[in-house]
Order: sequence, then structure tokens, then C-alpha cells
Amino acid sequence: MSAENTLPILILAPLIFGGISLLLRSARGALRFCAAGTLATAALAGITAYNVLRGGPAETANGWLMLDALSAQHLLAMITVFCLSSLYALIYFREEAADGRLTPKMAGRYGGLWFGSLAAMMLVLVSNSLGMMWVGVEASTLMTAFLICIHASPGALEAMWKYLLMCSVGVAVAFTGILLVAAATGPAGLHGMDALLWTTLMEAASRLNPMMLKAGFIFIVIGYGTKAGLAPLHNWLPDAHSQAPAPVSAVFSGFLLNAALYCILRCLPLVEAATGNEGWGRSILVIFGLLSILVAAAFIVMQRDVKRLLAYSSVEHIGIMALGAGIGGAGAAAALFHLINHSICKPIAFFCAGRIGQIYGTHDLPGLTMIIRRAPVWGAGLIISLLALVGVAPFSVFLSEFLVLKAAVDHSLYVVAALFLLGLGVVFIAVLRHIIAMAWKPAEQQAGPVKFSLPEALLIFIPLAIVLLLGMWIPGPLLKILSRAAQVLGGLS
Amino acid sequence: MNTLSILNLLAGLILAPLLPGIINRTKAVFAGRHGQPVLQTYFDIFKLLRKGAVYSRTTSWVFRLSPVIGLAAVIAAMTLLPALSAPAPVSFAGDLILFAYCFGLLRFFLVAAALDTGSAFEGMGASREVQFSALAEPALLLGLAALARATGSLSLTGIFSASAGPSAGPALALVSAALFIVFLAENARIPVDDPNTHLELTMIHEVMVLDYSGPDFAIILYTSSLKMWALGALLVNVLFSFLPLHGPAAVACVAGSMILLSVLVGIVESIMARLSLLKVPQLLAGAVAISVLALTLVLRFTS
Amino acid sequence: MIILLDTLLVTLILTGFLLLGSSRLGASIRISALQGIMTGLLPLALEHGDLFSYVSLLGVAVIGLKGYVFPRLLFSALRESDTSREVQPFVGYMASLFFGILFLMGSFWLDTRLNLPVHSGSDLLVPVAFSLMSCGLFLIVARRTAMSQVIGYLVLENGIYCFGLAVVSGMPLLLELGVLMDIFVAVFVMGIAIYHINREFDHIDADRLSALKG
Repeated sequence: MSAENTLPILILAPLIFGGISLLLRSARGALRFCAAGTLATAALAGITAYNVLRGGPAETANGWLMLDALSAQHLLAMITVFCLSSLYALIYFREEAADGRLTPKMAGRYGGLWFGSLAAMMLVLVSNSLGMMWVGVEASTLMTAFLICIHASPGALEAMWKYLLMCSVGVAVAFTGILLVAAATGPAGLHGMDALLWTTLMEAASRLNPMMLKAGFIFIVIGYGTKAGLAPLHNWLPDAHSQAPAPVSAVFSGFLLNAALYCILRCLPLVEAATGNEGWGRSILVIFGLLSILVAAAFIVMQRDVKRLLAYSSVEHIGIMALGAGIGGAGAAAALFHLINHSICKPIAFFCAGRIGQIYGTHDLPGLTMIIRRAPVWGAGLIISLLALVGVAPFSVFLSEFLVLKAAVDHSLYVVAALFLLGLGVVFIAVLRHIIAMAWKPAEQQAGPVKFSLPEALLIFIPLAIVLLLGMWIPGPLLKILSRAAQVLGGLS
Repeated sequence: MNTLSILNLLAGLILAPLLPGIINRTKAVFAGRHGQPVLQTYFDIFKLLRKGAVYSRTTSWVFRLSPVIGLAAVIAAMTLLPALSAPAPVSFAGDLILFAYCFGLLRFFLVAAALDTGSAFEGMGASREVQFSALAEPALLLGLAALARATGSLSLTGIFSASAGPSAGPALALVSAALFIVFLAENARIPVDDPNTHLELTMIHEVMVLDYSGPDFAIILYTSSLKMWALGALLVNVLFSFLPLHGPAAVACVAGSMILLSVLVGIVESIMARLSLLKVPQLLAGAVAISVLALTLVLRFTS
Repeated sequence: MIILLDTLLVTLILTGFLLLGSSRLGASIRISALQGIMTGLLPLALEHGDLFSYVSLLGVAVIGLKGYVFPRLLFSALRESDTSREVQPFVGYMASLFFGILFLMGSFWLDTRLNLPVHSGSDLLVPVAFSLMSCGLFLIVARRTAMSQVIGYLVLENGIYCFGLAVVSGMPLLLELGVLMDIFVAVFVMGIAIYHINREFDHIDADRLSALKG
């Protein structure tokens, strides 16, 4: 099965699964089908990605679908997040499905929307046309909006409305940017369909109108940046990620933000090539990245809700990825490595936070105390993942942040490096304060420890072990994948 | 200052009081009544001229002077008005600004006289009148500016003797729409003000002239008719500027169109209700927006 | 044809002003439907060479969706929510109209500065597009009810559509239809969201949805 043939199936299969899950009769059955369908799609996607990373970029459907090293790497991150989250959903919704709070109809809708967002994000990754990428991002906005308010509580509805409106407006602004990019192809003589195919645009990059391309890039960064959570357009993020159920929050933070950032990263080599590689596009990403890190740090200091804390941490990490991509070269490879680390670590953190919220009945940080004693697996998982996320060595997040910092210093961007360190430091101190309180502050009521099962422990600790391992040793194949993907970012394919 | 322009001016001076009569007749026809005679305003003016005037003890010379100054201002405005390609008696570069500010002078003295009476009702009417005019004046001036820019001339006679270019089509339509709203506002017609209302709390223009009697009131009535003629003639000139008429035909065309305009105003008055006082500024702001749009279009495409 | 095009574009700007000054939600929905129909007529007024099928299919789709389907969706959401008037907005109607005038002047100025190579039709397309986009964004930001925000989104999309018509010579039909479908689903989803919000909160005042802070 060559990569070319599987690309259309990657989009169609989740759609079919989604349709089927709408017809299922029981809540538990729907959740199990979700997990099964996600794993099946993930297997297919994994094989395709492997083929592409082995053999080179694959193009099909008249050039409309394409998978190269950058999108293959993102694809691997996406299927990791989705698989973990769909397995976790079985645990998270178990009680609710049992006592009927999650009705079969709600679960069927959940499954349909789950697969719908999977298909939409898949469309973003495998499209060669900037327009189809846009359709995928907008579709993912619409599908995930109702995932937020599966349980229609006031907070969830408010979060959903803010998310829907802000991201729709942002994506509309991004569309203006895409129109400007299409208009910039005038001097190059591209017409019709060709005008938006990424591969064609890269080939004709030197002949594009630089002014219009620059204007289009700004619109694209602002538009997709709203969806990716770059400050100052991130206002919807804490609400949406904290009000959604934990598996959905994990998908949001783990991959949805990255999908939007991916669209910006696709346009980056285009702008760079068209403006003569003087670093204009990259400096814009650096500015937004630094701003996100600093704003997130400022807001993390005063957080009282554990899921909002994790949401702001996502803003920070997206900022780090944008910063790394903006620095370029080794920084871009470090940013992509950071993507993988974040996509493994953040969902685990959300899983633990969600389960602990169910056990304790609240997400408020002052109320979450002695969590390791009360819930060994989830408490320990939360502590360890939070430690990993703020960059404690020897976890891989520390390594990737260090590599970004090193790239900044290597490129003599000392102010950038200093501000980056400042942001990281503030986040470290603020989160550590909460971690210590959660783990060791004495609890008012002593409730007994919650039972856990082996699959739960495996679900949490295997990914954390991988994160620990990656911090100490990056396997050769992974290095090759990262360098090939970074090359695409740098303009060579 | 030739015979054609004098004819133009005389037509306005003589025919102006016909307009309120036609408006009232149209409204009566709509309401199924027979209504007043069309020449009623003439009869009213002559009746009032024969009567004596009564002056309140709180008023001063301002009160007595204001009707006369108002009449003089409006007649001055009318001497600046052409009739399509027939020139006005007086014309010079920049006379369209003088045209707008003659009405300003009229308004100032009317308001001063109203305040002079020391009565609360007149003061209330004065404040409303000034508020609405503050919004209607920019609409008028911006519309005139658009016309000036489109034809390249700063004199009313010059604007309407040349023909505005074909690309000014939408701009001319927009200017006429804005001028129509200004016409309704300045002449105290529905939907801005109800000329038939007798409830003091809802009057605007009527209440300012509540204290006048005898010859003074006759002058006020005549001034209102002339004001209606002046603004209406401006509107009609804009609407029919594309017609290649000359000489007495142009004057006749303008006079005839004024009658049609009065019928139109009568119809508008019959089918609409007065807007609430909070909404009138929005309507006038809309007129300003339309004028700005017209000016922008003209600036963009005739540069 | 140029007269028709210019008239359509000027009427589009006027509908933008009307929306800025209107406080009745039902009237706003109708005016935005009218705006949608006029944007659907725009490709017909622009000269496109051999694209008869393109023009007719796209035009029919746009007019059908924006002129009929969207108003139905929005009116049913409005009926459910039992409101008919805009709650006191953040920016009053007079100030909104003056902002609209500022946006208009800004759009024309921006157009002269940007000097975009316009492929088709009149010089008015790009300023009208910018003006509609800024009116739409203003409506989203300055109005309180969720319904007005959806109408603002529709106006924004109309503006972007005009912009696309101006600068791109011949977008692929498939892409345009894809965009149209996305907008349709977006409005559909927003309508359902408003229904849920009203059921839970008993109002559609988006400003009162402010429990989540920090």
C-alpha cells in the first residue's frame, strides 16, 4: 500500500467512522468504537508516515494531497494524541456512562464530532492546497466547538461561544491572507488551482510579488495565530480548554493548536524564499512567540484552576514552538522536537487533572491537596507531568527548550534569549509553588486512596517514561525525522 | 444680473407660499378630506398683515428684529440659486458656503428670539432645533462639497451650468438622498417634526414661533415658505442636472418640479409617522454618512 | 455593466451603514440577507470571460444560501430566544454610524496606499471590501447580543468575498463552494449555539457571559 493511495483514505475513514458512531446505541459502545476507530486510523496513518519518511514526499489527487517530512512528523504527533485521548476517554467517562449522565445520544454525538475533528485535522495535514488547509481548520473549529459543551453547563456554553466566535473571525482573517497570497501569484503567471498549491508556490517563490505576500503573511499569522493561541489573540484558550471534558482538552492542547501553527509554518518558507531570505517572516514569529511566553507567564502566576493553568501552559509552549521556528536552523529542529514532547506530555497532564477533578469534585488548586496519597497513579502522574512541562531536567521538554535557547544564543539573539529565560523562570516558580502545595500540603479531610488499575497506570506512566527517555537519548531515526522536517521549514525539500 | 435671473428670483418669491398649500392638499387627499384651499398660505399672510401685533413684556428688540433679518437672509440665499443652467442673480466663487450660512443666520436669530421670550417652551424648541441643525448642516455642506468637487466649480451657478460627469451618477443620487433628508429636517417636516402638532412637548419649529402675532407672524410664514423653496430648488437642481434645458424653460422646469416635490413631501408626511426624538439624530447621522460616501466617491474618481 | 456594478457596490456600503444604525434584530437579519444577495449578484456584474457555468452556479448557490437559508436559520434562533431588540450596545448607534464613516474613509485611503492590482471590474471593489470587513468586525465587538455578533460575522464574510473577487482572477470553483459550505455550517452551528445559550441562560446577551475570568 503506497503512500499515494492511502492519503484519501486517511480523510474518508474517520468520516465513515463518525457516521457509524452516530448510530450506536450504547454510551460505552460508542466510546469503545471511538477508541477502536482512532487506533485503526492511527495505524494507517503511521504506515503512511513511515513510507513518506522513508521514501520521500508523496503527492496524489492531481497534486491536491501531499505528505512530506513536515506533515508526516505532525501526523505522528496527531495520532499519538488522539490514540491516548480516546483510550483515556474510556476511563474518564466510565462513571458517567454507568449512571446515565452520558446518554447514548450524547455519546454518539461525541463520537461523531470526535471523528469529524480527526478528519478535519487530517485534511489540514495532508492538503497541498492552502485553500483546503483553510477548509480543514475552519471545519475543525466547528466540529470541536460542540465537543466543549457535551455537558451544557453555563461555563461550557460561555467558553464554547467565545471559542466559536473568536476562532471563526480569526480563520476568516486568515482567509484574507490566503487571498492575498493567491493574488501575489500574478507576476508568476499561475492561475486557478495552481495558485494555491504549496509545492507549486514553493517552486515559483522567487517570482511572487513580495509586498502582497508579506501582507498576506501578516494576515495569516494573525488569523491562524488566533486559532493557535498566540498572544494577544489567545483569550478564548483558557476558557475553552478548561471547560471542555478532559479528553477533549487533551486533543485541544495536544494537537489542535499545533494544527493551526502548522499552517503558519507552511507559509513561512514561502515568505522567506520570496523576500530573499532576509528573515522578515521569521522575526514576526519570534515576536509573537516571545509575547505568548511572557503573557502566559504573567497569567500563570495568578491561576487558581488547574486546567486553566495547563491551558496557559499550552500558550507558553506554542510560543516556544513559534520562537524556535522563528529563530530558524537548529532552532526549527528544536521547535519540532518540542512539538513532539509537548504533544506527549500535555495530554497526560490533562488526563490526570481531569481524573483528579472527578475524584475531588473540583478543579480549584487550593482544594487539591495530598493528591499522591489520595490517587497514587493520577496524582503522581500530574506532579510528574507538570514537572516535565515546566522544564525540569532530565525530561525531554527541558532538552528541547535548552536547544531553542542554544539556537538563540548561537544566532546572537541575546535579548530574545534573555526574555525567553525570564518567561521560563517565572512559569517554573509559579507552577512549582502549586506542585508543592498539591503534593504535600495537608488535607482537611482524610479520604481513602482511590483504587487504580494496571491499564490506567500503563496509560499514564509509559508516555511519561518515554518523555524521560527522550530527555536523555534521542534515537537516530527520530533525529533524522526532525532534521528532514526542519529542512522543509527552512525552504529545502 | 440679467432678466432671466430676475425671472428666476421672482418665480421663487411669488410661488413659494404655494408649496405649503400643496403639501396640505396632498395630505388631505390621502386622508379622504377636501382640505384647505391651495392658496391658503397667501390668504393667511394677507390677513395677518392687516392685523396688529401684540408683544410680550419680557421680549426686547431682538424679538422684533428677528423676523425681518430672517426674511432678508432667506431672500439673500434665493438670489444665489440658479435654475439648472439659468444663472442666479448673484454668483461668485464660494457662494455655496454663503448659501448654507444664510440659513444659519436665520436659525440663529429665530433661536435668539425664542430664548428672548423667556418661556420654557420656546427654549425647549430652540434647543431641539439647534441640535438637529448641528447634524443637518454637515450633511448639507458635505453634499455641496461633493457637487463642487464633481464639477470643479465653487459657485452654485457654476455647478449647475456645467454638467457633472457620467461617473458622478451614483454620487449624484446619494447627494440627492442626503439633501432630501436635510430638506425634511430643516423645514420641520415629518419624520423630523410634525407641523400640525399642538402638543407643546412635541413641537420643535412651531413652538419657537409661538409668541409671534400680526405682521411679524406673516413674515415668519413667508420666510418658512421661502426656505422651503430655496432648499427644494437646490434639491431639484441636483436631481435634474442632466437635463439640457436653457433659458425660461429651465426656470419653468424648476418651478414645475417644486410642485412635484411638494406632492412627494405630502405623500411622505401621510405615510410615515414622526420619529421619536431619540431616533432623529440617527437619521441625520445617516444623512451625514450618505454625504460622506458621495464626497468620497467623487474624490476618488475625479482626481 | 459598470453602472450596475457601481450601484451594487454603493448599495452594499449603504446596507453596512443601515446595519450599524439598526437596533431591531429582525430588521438586521433582513438587511444582511439583502447584502448577501447583492454579493451573490456581484460576479454577474463583473465581466468573466468563459465562466458562464461558474457564474451561474456560484451565484445561485450564494443567493440561495445567503438570501434564504441563513435568514431562516437566524429567524428560528431569534424566535426561540424571544428577543427582538438589541440590548443597549457598548457603542451607541450614533457613535456606530460615525465609526462607520471613519471606516469608509479609512478603507478608501487604505486602497490608495496599498495599490493592489485589481483584476476585474470597478475601482470600488477593494474599498467596499475593506469597509464591509471593518463594519463586520465592529458589529462583533460593539454589540451585546449573540445574534448581532453572528450578523457581524456574516458581514465580515461578505467583505472577504468581495475582496476575493477583486484581487484573485478566477478562484477555483471547488474552493469557493468549499468556503461557502464552511460559512453555511458555521452559521448553522452558531444558530444551534444560540439556542443552547438561550435555553441555559434565558437570554442571548453575550456580555453577560462573563463568569470565566483571568
